Amino acid sequence: MTTHQAPPVADRAGAVEPAAARPPRLPALLRAGLRRLVGALAVLFGAATLAFAALQLIPGDPVATLLGPATTTPPEVREAIRHDLGYDQPVVVQYLHYLGGLLRADLGQSYQLQRPVSDLIAEQLGPTAQLALTAVLLALLIAVLSAVATAGRRPALKALTAAWELVAVSTPSYWLGLVLLTVFSFQLRLFPVAGADGVAALVLPAVTLALPLAGTLAQVLREGLEAALGQPFAVTARARGLSRAGVVLRHALRHAAVPLMTLTGWLTGSLLGGTVLVESVFGRPGVGSLVLAAVNSRDVPVVIGVVLLSALVFVVISTAVDLLAGVLDPRLGNR
Amino acid sequence: MASPGAASARRAVRLPPPAVLAAGAVLLLILLAGLLPGLLTGVSPTATDPVNALQPPGAAHPLGTDQLGRDVFARLVHGAGPALALGFGSTVLAVVGGAALGLAAALGGPVADRLLMRAADVLLALPATLLALLVIAVLGTGTGNLVLAIGIALVPGYGRLVRSEALLVRRSGYVEAAVTLGVPRRSLILRHVLPNSLAPLLTLATVGFGTALIAASGLSFLGLGPRPPSPEWGAMLSEGRGFLATAWWLGVFPGAAVTLTVAAVTVVGRHLQQRFTRRSP
Amino acid sequence: MHIFRPVVARVLVSTVAGSLLLAGCSGQGGGTAAGDKPVSGGTLTYAVDTEPVSWDPHVSTQDLTAELQRQVLDSLVSEDADGTFHPWLATSWESAPDLRSFTFHLRKDVKFQDGTPFDGTAVKANFDHIVAKETKSQFAASLLGSYTGTTVLDPYTVRVEFAQPSAPFLQAASTSYLGLYSPKTLASDAAKLGQGGPVDVGSGPFRFTGYSKGQQAVFERNPDYRWGPQNAAHTGPAHLDKVVVRFLPDAAVRVGALTSGQVQVAKAVPPQNAATVKADPALRLVTREQPGGNYNLWLNGSLAPLDDQRVRQAIQRGIDLDLDVKTVQFGQFPRAWSPISSITPGYDKSLEHAWPYDRALADRLLDEAGWTGRDSDGYRTANGRRLSVQWPQLSANATQQGRDILGQAIQADLRKIGVEVVRPSLDVGAYSTLVYGGKANIVDLAWARFEPDVLWQFLNSASAPAKGGINPTFLPDQQLDQLTDRGRATLDATERGQVYAKVQQRAIDLAVVVPVYTPVALTGVSAKVGGLGFDPDTWLDFYDAWRTP
Repeated sequence: MTTHQAPPVADRAGAVEPAAARPPRLPALLRAGLRRLVGALAVLFGAATLAFAALQLIPGDPVATLLGPATTTPPEVREAIRHDLGYDQPVVVQYLHYLGGLLRADLGQSYQLQRPVSDLIAEQLGPTAQLALTAVLLALLIAVLSAVATAGRRPALKALTAAWELVAVSTPSYWLGLVLLTVFSFQLRLFPVAGADGVAALVLPAVTLALPLAGTLAQVLREGLEAALGQPFAVTARARGLSRAGVVLRHALRHAAVPLMTLTGWLTGSLLGGTVLVESVFGRPGVGSLVLAAVNSRDVPVVIGVVLLSALVFVVISTAVDLLAGVLDPRLGNR
Repeated sequence: MASPGAASARRAVRLPPPAVLAAGAVLLLILLAGLLPGLLTGVSPTATDPVNALQPPGAAHPLGTDQLGRDVFARLVHGAGPALALGFGSTVLAVVGGAALGLAAALGGPVADRLLMRAADVLLALPATLLALLVIAVLGTGTGNLVLAIGIALVPGYGRLVRSEALLVRRSGYVEAAVTLGVPRRSLILRHVLPNSLAPLLTLATVGFGTALIAASGLSFLGLGPRPPSPEWGAMLSEGRGFLATAWWLGVFPGAAVTLTVAAVTVVGRHLQQRFTRRSP
Repeated sequence: MHIFRPVVARVLVSTVAGSLLLAGCSGQGGGTAAGDKPVSGGTLTYAVDTEPVSWDPHVSTQDLTAELQRQVLDSLVSEDADGTFHPWLATSWESAPDLRSFTFHLRKDVKFQDGTPFDGTAVKANFDHIVAKETKSQFAASLLGSYTGTTVLDPYTVRVEFAQPSAPFLQAASTSYLGLYSPKTLASDAAKLGQGGPVDVGSGPFRFTGYSKGQQAVFERNPDYRWGPQNAAHTGPAHLDKVVVRFLPDAAVRVGALTSGQVQVAKAVPPQNAATVKADPALRLVTREQPGGNYNLWLNGSLAPLDDQRVRQAIQRGIDLDLDVKTVQFGQFPRAWSPISSITPGYDKSLEHAWPYDRALADRLLDEAGWTGRDSDGYRTANGRRLSVQWPQLSANATQQGRDILGQAIQADLRKIGVEVVRPSLDVGAYSTLVYGGKANIVDLAWARFEPDVLWQFLNSASAPAKGGINPTFLPDQQLDQLTDRGRATLDATERGQVYAKVQQRAIDLAVVVPVYTPVALTGVSAKVGGLGFDPDTWLDFYDAWRTP
């Protein structure tokens, strides 16, 4: 939902920051990469700390939450459980244990299901990854087609494009999902109503997730293309007799590709949030369904596990995209 | 999303394009519904009439009735307030939190800046929905916690904007001069930095309001927000979900209301951004 | 989303398992559409509305766990709808005169799905496992009551022993809550039984071969099965190759999956879709009233303002239940007049229409109780206080059976007589604290059990939450205590009928309960499916079921 909007802010001052004078190219790239890596690790460490703090903030006794409300467990058993889980240790010790566990991909134990959180997530990751990746590819496809077809065209066409982009960005994904479900599954019976088996079951959820994304991407790409078309090289190319399509495809698209890639990376990293609603609407299994059930039963370790996973995904993708952009874009590379 | 700096060239006072005007009119109408729902409908949103349940849209009930015979139009109008309040509340929270964060980062010295911005990086790395869900998992469900959750989730974005704006202002000639002249820090912040960062912040908040509204109604749709019988768009949609096959109007109209509101806010917000955002350095 | 059932409202079913076979009931349409002749082979897909939190019926209270594991775990005996017990893994049994021990003679040809032979030690291992502390049994252990141990008299004879007379044990032993795992799996994987999947090894007609959380569970035919309950429709292995259980919590999605043929059986069809399913020639709707406690509102008689019987009565009479239930449940669920449903033994028919909706009476009662003022919102007041009652709802399953909407209708009705109903939405922890602590005015719950003894749990003061029970009235009443105790002490059907009739009348007179509706299991079934069994708890049994292609 929220994440379908473009990143709320382009950090203008921040964007200027790395533009300091650099030594020659290859070491610069290496150093930039190293720097990104340290930054990424710092973010992950911060997210882990935040998650630990959240765990400490839960009101009430974690053992009581773990046992559930109706049990009349004797105090000595409670104490034993408390000891097993290390809740009787000082917070600092608990924190270090927790960080140590994370390094071993141990995300703790689910209160409700009494199973390791990492196992639960691993089981659910497949369908979610499938959905998210399909949605991103679909969104990119739609965005590129829409933007390439309309950039620099007549105002009427542009207005039409702007209108669909606006609607796509403004439509809540859960509602879009319900409408698609009603029309294509209940009425026309073209697609299965629920589940995650087969390609057919993937179509509607992926479209639901992709459309708002496509709206955002198309907007950015179209603006990028138009900016590029206004640049001297494009004007010159047109003057040399190259067609609009030719200029767009040969020059402008390459020009606008880097911001598009960055944005796509950003959106992909945050897609895990969007899957919560889409999986709920389409009755799909996955990480989103897992986290929603966990929120409803206040199974905080599971929620934290998913949050940490999404931080990891985000950091990996955005680091990769940044590095790639540094390699691809001559201007960035020359800095 | 940051608007292209080129747009600020069109600074001249002139009537906004018709699309913006239309969006503004829609927005006013929705605001009116939110503030004074009684002006738009005389029907009570909670008055049940089981005999006339699930009537399709028609003369007596322009948007039909729900499972208990309540008028959907009346519920939609009365639902504007709670829905807008959720979006507005969390946006205000995010803007205030973001302003505090951003100013502290920009003006608190390099150490504070680094620390706060790394903290913002951490929050930005978490999808807003998940962050909000985490807050709700810790605090429990309910309207207040929902607002808090979305507010917190959106703080870092605003924080980054305020910081960058504040840095621009601070590095500008006149503030540098003021510092040289020995103007006290607090009055510097209040008189120069804050007002100058405010315009972009508020225009961003306008667009961000749409984001918050979608987020809030989404969580409300999942049953994590206000509960019936008080009408709220997300909750109404959630209730109407079981009737997609038999009474489409229960699900379609609340969702359309959210979409319309967000679209209108986005159009107006972008227009404001284009007009008021200063050129990038 | 509705994976977790509420602690209070959980359907605590003491199964009276025997299969009420559709195929056997001509006129129910069970076997006719799919042909009367069973077909061997094929896969049947069953859509359910929740998902087991724990798959171990020795631990869990969830009815879905018990229903699905019934396919995997056999029991010593089987009970049919008439309350008659039939041989299953035990060929015969006798009880001691003091009802403190039961001796079972076991079948000798039974093998668990892992090849382990079934014998007396297996029975002992299972019952001991249920009561073991480490098992943390939430329900099954209570079915064993004062269990002291099992003695293996010879390899195929066991004696199950109790400290107290335990008449209900035989019935408990017929449920899958006391179903029998292979002793080998109990020894090696006791802690993992709740996770589901191949680790759950029983001797039943199906093997639990696969489970992916949030998606589906797969049960495959046990080809060696020769020991079905004597009251089953056939002998030998199950007809179906495979039963796939899909978890589809969203009602619309579940119905859509049924109508589009993705699943052949769907549990909990929402009432608003009942007509659609009925009208579909490819489908039929099987309705089964739930036994035991109805969906009732229980009024807390110890907490103001409901400590005043007149106020409680006003609420009881001030809700237009006929209209509300009919509207919200689309006429699919009968409006209730007694706290127990009409198919439950001991049901008192004389209560029907004995306390109709009467708004004038409700207003008069409230006036008499002193709530004569009115505030600006139109609610009654007394001494400057608003007449307001708190009725919490559990966020996780608020929408089950349209209860949230029904709650709004009730809220609107009570508003008309000047009573404000506040409905905070709470998670399990906060909800239980409030409800068990006696701090809620109204609690809604349905508690299925084929036994009028549910009334003991709701109304006897020994069942107060402070004592580990669930009595939601918080109103000790000598008469109710005596009556419900007497009902437990006798097996004479006539006397039980008289006793429980008095209990029901007393509960209505005291106005500690407002019966709302009798839950009906609405199961959508494809016409291609035959032989589907429903036990009296409305749960499905797939042993006798088949599917035509």
